[in-house]
Amino acid sequence: MRVLLQSTASGILIGGVYALVGIGLTIIYGVMRVINFAHGELLMLGMYLTWIIFTSFGIDPFISIAITIPAMFLFGAFLQKVLINRVLNALPQNQILLTIGLGLVLSNLVMLIYTSDYKIITTSYSSSTINLAGLPLSLPLTISLLITSVITGILYVFLLKTDTGQAIRATAQDRDAAQLMGINVKRMSVLAFGIGTALAGTAGALVSPTYYIFPQVGGAFTLKAFVIVVLGGMGSVIGATLGGIIIGVTESLAAVYISSGMKEVFVYVLFLLVLLFKPSGLLGRSRM
Amino acid sequence: MKSVGRILPPASGFAAVQLLVILVVVAALFVFPYLVVNPYVLHLMILLFLSVAMGESWNVIGGYCGQYSVGHAAYFGVGAYAALMLLQYQHVAPWWGVWVAIAAALVISLLIGTICFRLRGPYFVLASIAVAEIIRLVVLNWKQFTNGAEGILLVDIPPLKVGATVLTDWLSKTPFYYLGLILALATLLVNYLVQHSKLGYFLQAIREDQDAAHSLGINLSFYKNVALAISALFTAVSGVYYGLYIGFIDPASVLGVDLSVQMVLICIIGGIGTNFGPVVGALVLVPLSEALRANLLSKVLFSLGVVKETSRVGGFLKENLAHAHVLIYGILVVVVILFMPDGVLGFGRKLIAQRSRPFSAKPTSLVGGLDGSA
Repeated sequence: MRVLLQSTASGILIGGVYALVGIGLTIIYGVMRVINFAHGELLMLGMYLTWIIFTSFGIDPFISIAITIPAMFLFGAFLQKVLINRVLNALPQNQILLTIGLGLVLSNLVMLIYTSDYKIITTSYSSSTINLAGLPLSLPLTISLLITSVITGILYVFLLKTDTGQAIRATAQDRDAAQLMGINVKRMSVLAFGIGTALAGTAGALVSPTYYIFPQVGGAFTLKAFVIVVLGGMGSVIGATLGGIIIGVTESLAAVYISSGMKEVFVYVLFLLVLLFKPSGLLGRSRM
Repeated sequence: MKSVGRILPPASGFAAVQLLVILVVVAALFVFPYLVVNPYVLHLMILLFLSVAMGESWNVIGGYCGQYSVGHAAYFGVGAYAALMLLQYQHVAPWWGVWVAIAAALVISLLIGTICFRLRGPYFVLASIAVAEIIRLVVLNWKQFTNGAEGILLVDIPPLKVGATVLTDWLSKTPFYYLGLILALATLLVNYLVQHSKLGYFLQAIREDQDAAHSLGINLSFYKNVALAISALFTAVSGVYYGLYIGFIDPASVLGVDLSVQMVLICIIGGIGTNFGPVVGALVLVPLSEALRANLLSKVLFSLGVVKETSRVGGFLKENLAHAHVLIYGILVVVVILFMPDGVLGFGRKLIAQRSRPFSAKPTSLVGGLDGSA
């Protein structure tokens, strides 16, 4: 029972970060109908940015997200303007291939500059734990869950209450209708890709104290992000949050009770089952 | 009706000139190892044949049928593992093992087809990746059976004998050269046959509009599965060939997502859904990535005087550029998608069409006409 609670709790902790990755992907998909296969690589960039700031200025990873978030947002907006914008009306296959190519370029550029050696960020609290009702929880992951919750909360308020947020949601619901209502859909696309990139980068920053940092780390996250988004329902932000937690817990339980090497197999099997039996996802109806 | 038959030329066959060119090229390729004995050149040619075979195999399902599978490493890896495990642990000669590899790939293709062909577009892409990843993780973790991450190192291949005469003992690159050449030609022929058969028309109808094809009575899942089976069969044979030639396989090298992506890229860069697209793709990709691997690019930069070899940047490039040969794949695919969505082959045709008929009202009809014969 204790092991069950323990592994569920740590699943929820990592699930929070997964949710952040998934929300980024789902916003991009919702607004532009582009499936971003470079999402994990954007996360990887967030990790490296955090690592660079940590090693050269000694700024704590959880504080440096104040730099990472705007930097990644600008980078995302740049990518949208230069690359993604050109294939918005192309075949979905070509969009997928473009982002796959972008991912290859990013991970190999990072490998070229920083080699494929594993990097780690060692903080004073990297391996420390806190006790929550008798359950020892990883301190860095707990902090990252708190930050994730705050960011997700701000994002909800932004999407639901502000004019820009509503314009983004309108664009996601119906691009043409939104344009007819006078919404600048091109600007919304740039914003959406920027926000998505910033979220992926933030997730990378948040896991950097507990993960190895290497150029190929993104691939696994890309695939997981899709699983999360499809599970929750493509384009649904709440669905992605829920999907992230479910995947985190599934992984954690499979690692404890079956084998840590096979944990991802269960995630993918779950993914196939959802695709086959409930392709709209758990919350597929509600668009964002 | 008779008069129509006289006016329209028969719609089959190659033009004589093209047939002649192809025959000359093929004959030259068969004589090639007698003229060039440099093992590195033969190695390059073998890589080229392998890329052509992989690209042409993927082209059947991705190019003609429009189902962008990004999980083809599954067939490649399963084929390689089946043949090499039989050879290494049971001492079954690879020319028997290859049939087991084919059978295994067909079974898996049927399984994947049943699961994934219910899905369309991006969902199909994602499902194909997920299935391939499941297979990779199982092979990686089932250590007693597959030797896990350590992979399988081939000790030796038994000599191929007919009666008492030894045809080859597999020690030089020449037998692999011919094997690769035959494999590449076979996949090209399969593509040609598929394109010019009823099956090919059905597949292209499915690619253009699934619902319309369905309403015309084309059994979608049956023909998709047939295309996938053909594709899986030759991908598995390519996998066996790779395993035998390199002599070492592990889950990362024969089952990874990057291998699947590579197969797609060969077709995309050359020109998807055309007979010779994957050949062009392989001709572009293999020399480029080998040049990077051999550090030719940094040497060119040094000799042009762009960067000094002794400078800090120069030393860095010399040290690291060789490891980043995948970078060229990424850059190429971005450039191709943005500027030549029909691939290098389609782009070249468009250029030729524009030049020969600057005011043509219908450049597409010309492209279509060339398509049928190429």
